[in-house]
Amino acid sequence: MIWFLLVVSAVVLFIGYLTAISSKDLIRLLISLELMFGSVFLALIPLFTTLPSSAFGVAVITIFTSSSELLILIIAIMLIDKEFRTISVETISSGGDRVD
Amino acid sequence: MDYLVLTLGIATVLFACGVLLTRDNLYASLYMSVTLILIATIYTVYSIQSVFVLITFIFVGAIGIITIALAATYRFIPARKISVYWLIPIAIVTAIVAYTYYLYSGQIGIVFIKEHSFASFPTEYLLMVVFLVSLMALLMLSAIKLVRGEGS
Repeated sequence: MIWFLLVVSAVVLFIGYLTAISSKDLIRLLISLELMFGSVFLALIPLFTTLPSSAFGVAVITIFTSSSELLILIIAIMLIDKEFRTISVETISSGGDRVD
Repeated sequence: MDYLVLTLGIATVLFACGVLLTRDNLYASLYMSVTLILIATIYTVYSIQSVFVLITFIFVGAIGIITIALAATYRFIPARKISVYWLIPIAIVTAIVAYTYYLYSGQIGIVFIKEHSFASFPTEYLLMVVFLVSLMALLMLSAIKLVRGEGS
């Protein structure tokens, strides 16, 4: 059943990508990212069959890292709403810091 | 076991499709949470309970619920009122928990947490999973109830 889990993981990842592309607001973008992380968790299951302890370590790191990342994104959404009074994707016109 | 994984996988894909197809952010976040719970459930089929607990507690319990709250907040102005009907399930759950504590209080006692204490904790894993999923369902239903009440 490993192949089936990987297929499901790929399908969920693809749906996450489609949701991200079609999103018009930042909350939908956040939801699509969470869906993509879900597919990553699903893809980790085959690793448990060969290297269980390493897979568990990878899973713990992935869960905590992705959770922190999503929390930062949630804070960013709140700050954008406070600044621009909208959560539309169109608000974000550029990314990254400005290098002087 | 194969049929169980097959069913869970198909349900996961269907709920993920729900995220894509629904136009409402609140329902999209609810579908996303259910998808993640189903993915965590696949871990339990392979007896990897620790990852199930991590995904359910941290990813769905914290991040998922914040996303649901965020999606609900940007739809309507939140109200601060407690429905009387929600007090009934709360009272039932409290009664069950109180009875369980009363029943097992003599056997469990207070112990200090030591190494591998979770492995020897005298509780049933299935019961814990049922309570955890019930808690998630209760939270999601309360969010739907709140939004529907505001909409009408």
